[in-house]
Amino acid sequence: MSFSERPTVQPWRKANLKRRFEILLAVAIPLPLTMLFALLSNFDVNLALIAVFLPLQLIAAGLVGVRAYGKRGIGDAALVVITIFFSTFVLVLLLSVLFSVIVEGGRAISWQFFSQNNVYVSPTTSLEYGGVGHAILGTLMVVGLTTLAAVPLGIAMAVYLTQSQSKTRNLVRTFTQALSGLPSVVSGLFILTIIEATQMGRSGFTGALALFPLMLPTVARVAEEALRLVPVDLRYAALALGAPNYRAFFQVILPAAKSGLMTALLLGLARVVGETAPLILTMNPSSATSLNPFDGGMTTLPIYIYNYLASSYQTSQARAWGAALVLLMLVGFLFGLARILSKSKTTKKKASK
Amino acid sequence: MSQTPVNPPAQERRKLVIKPLSKGDKWFFRSTSIAAHFAFVLVALILGFLLWKSWPVIQGQGFDFVFGSTWDADSDPMVLQLGPMLWGSLLIAIVGIIIATPMALSMAYLIVFMLPNRLARIATTLVDLLAALPSVVLGLWGLLVFTPVASHWAEVLNSYLGWIPIFGVADAENGFMRSPFIAGWIVAVMIVPIITSVTREIFSQLDRDLINGALALGGSRLSTFRRVIMPTSSGGVIGGVLLGLGRAIGETVAIFYVLNLSFDINWGALLEPQGGAVASWILARFGEANGAEKDGLMAAGLVLFVVTLIINYIANVIVNRAQPWRKN
Amino acid sequence: MNSLSTASTLSAEDISVWFGERQVLEKVNLTFPANQVTALIGPSGCGKSTFIRTLNRMHELIPGAGLAGAVYLDGEDIYNESTDAVTVRIKVGMVFQKPNPFPTMTIKDNILSGLRLSGRKIENAEELVETSLRRASIWNEVKDRLNDQAISLSGGQQQRLCIARSLAMDPKVLLMDEPCSALDPGSTRRIEETIQELSETMTIVIVTHNMQQAQRVSDQTAFFLADDNTPGGVVEFGSTEQVFNGPIDQRTNDYVNGHFG
Repeated sequence: MSFSERPTVQPWRKANLKRRFEILLAVAIPLPLTMLFALLSNFDVNLALIAVFLPLQLIAAGLVGVRAYGKRGIGDAALVVITIFFSTFVLVLLLSVLFSVIVEGGRAISWQFFSQNNVYVSPTTSLEYGGVGHAILGTLMVVGLTTLAAVPLGIAMAVYLTQSQSKTRNLVRTFTQALSGLPSVVSGLFILTIIEATQMGRSGFTGALALFPLMLPTVARVAEEALRLVPVDLRYAALALGAPNYRAFFQVILPAAKSGLMTALLLGLARVVGETAPLILTMNPSSATSLNPFDGGMTTLPIYIYNYLASSYQTSQARAWGAALVLLMLVGFLFGLARILSKSKTTKKKASK
Repeated sequence: MSQTPVNPPAQERRKLVIKPLSKGDKWFFRSTSIAAHFAFVLVALILGFLLWKSWPVIQGQGFDFVFGSTWDADSDPMVLQLGPMLWGSLLIAIVGIIIATPMALSMAYLIVFMLPNRLARIATTLVDLLAALPSVVLGLWGLLVFTPVASHWAEVLNSYLGWIPIFGVADAENGFMRSPFIAGWIVAVMIVPIITSVTREIFSQLDRDLINGALALGGSRLSTFRRVIMPTSSGGVIGGVLLGLGRAIGETVAIFYVLNLSFDINWGALLEPQGGAVASWILARFGEANGAEKDGLMAAGLVLFVVTLIINYIANVIVNRAQPWRKN
Repeated sequence: MNSLSTASTLSAEDISVWFGERQVLEKVNLTFPANQVTALIGPSGCGKSTFIRTLNRMHELIPGAGLAGAVYLDGEDIYNESTDAVTVRIKVGMVFQKPNPFPTMTIKDNILSGLRLSGRKIENAEELVETSLRRASIWNEVKDRLNDQAISLSGGQQQRLCIARSLAMDPKVLLMDEPCSALDPGSTRRIEETIQELSETMTIVIVTHNMQQAQRVSDQTAFFLADDNTPGGVVEFGSTEQVFNGPIDQRTNDYVNGHFG
């Protein structure tokens, strides 16, 4: 999306010095006033934010608005204040999650937490023993297995949606979108019916199966957008040189869309790496390290968190926080990688213009 | 064949052989086509398998499976009725949407119309980051960090607005925890990014001349928002809200931690520590359920899937219609 | 390259074109004799670009495209049901309006891309690259940077690279769809010179909006026109000399003298 052509609708842009001072006052006064009031009157702080601060801020902004623009300044001031208020709320929630995971998780994390498994750990074992090494390995294997199937298939779907002229494309797209709304627990139930019907044992593999329907539509959707970004001129150029469609795709379109397809892979990974419910239904948790995803128990980070959270012991909760931090680091890593890739894609596009 | 009005003896149109003739291309299109149609197969398989497993329960319980409000696997005959959980899912989703929509709209407005480019990009990244939070992490945070805070909010709400039925509680000593109110907040955190990203995209595609024109004519921000921005983008925003609804109804783990699942149906007392959620109920009962009850949980999954399919379909139709630039 | 194949004669018979139910071309009959340069001129939207795309079966890539009539390449109908579009496009090359070198490839790989894309063996790669670049008169500018990315070139160089890329396939006919419309006068002049040289070994069809260019490079000219809401067609076709200096049709006269369009 382009940020460059936004209209400049900031009424204070051309404000003179006096007006700037008024704005400064309107921003600076209400919050300390509210805090002071809450402190002195023993009034509930949460309530004071809504019942005292917000009206005060609205009045302050409204006054500035009226002085600058007359009557219509009131509505504008209200819109600006409310927009910023709600947006700040979103930010506070996000930061609260990140902050608690980093602080609480940071306490549990150490080298041994990354490397050891949980075999001899009871709910009261001190944090110096045991770790999530087995869960990290399990996560990588289960998610890796899903990726092996979902990425090629998702990209193939995207290829069909962008390269063929078939009439069923819209129907395929509709079903892919429908699939992207699949509740994760239903995906777990689905694989569970298959497990029971075929009598196969629960393992990392069955967990990977349960993640597959969740990852596929994400990969397909992002890959479709990536392929759509490749200029159709390139495809025409290749076809005009006498290329069959498949060679045009593999030699011209695929290399041009490479970073976008990597993004599809990473966002697909980020989508399933934190999934819990489907894995609880389809895998046997294990506290030992397992390297065989096709047989026996296996644990992933989300399952680890889920199991330890159920316990009310302090150390168990600390372990859950620690695992959450590791999981978040994993998600953040994938996410950052996707960002960097998509950024390099846009710069490349600019260079070619 | 089409008639050409200019030249009466119409020319026969030729059949264009657009089917590729080379072996490689046949293989290429056939395999991608099979992959693409796997989307149908997968949806059909999921519906088919769940229906197959849950058919005895659906047949045995009839319509009461959806509308009744007793879940007793030990009685004879077994009574499995999902009513309170279904209603609870809906109630929580509605609370979540009521909380999330103003936040998401504000965020989108802020990003597209107010922040300078650099900050707008950072804000977009933060919203995307929010979308990437695993629900089990949100559940953890919700249980250990957010519940104490929110239960305090609930207490304040109750003490001032308790006379309104939805904020009333039977017994204030219960502590205001594990209520649909708190679950609604958790769900709201999850769907804010969904609504924000749809709305942001629609806002950023609005005709800038139109907005600049409205402002140049002496319109205020507010009137521009009310008269220009909202009317042209409301369809897409509703679509985004429905996408969020679909996500909220299917949410499992996070709600599981912060809600007290109960079959005493809670029609709308948001602060009461009892509520329902189909997906969480499946997770909660799954470990202990025997064969027949398990089939009941399969049926619950089927109902959940059908409901989200319908909601998502409607949402996508609306969103796609509101974003014509995405069509090829 | 010692054994350049000879040019081909291309002819369009009663070509009509539809997009969906809308007809955009009506019974176009044109013959492009071997080694001749034919210019297609006419106002925007008269269907000349659409027409040129029917000559190497690029037209059918647009969804909803329809066609009547036939195109003969050395007497053989290219729309024959058993003819693969791929074989047609190998013989009839195309240069597009906007330069479109493959951005992920080097200059050298762009030249060789045609052979690779059509799955043919490459012998004497170095020699082929040099000959092709020389024929597109860009060799001197790029000979020291053959392994640079193609998008590092200027717009005019990119377009000549695209011409060289087509030439590496040794086509019998070269179609050019307004090849100079995005270029500066200097680049335009060099491409015009290239066209003159190329006509010794191949048949060339060029769409252009530029009257002077048509006069400079072409042997024969076809004037396309579409009246309001009717399909486009050829109004006048003859030697360039005749179309520009003694047009028979009044509308041609008006157009080439800049009275409308």
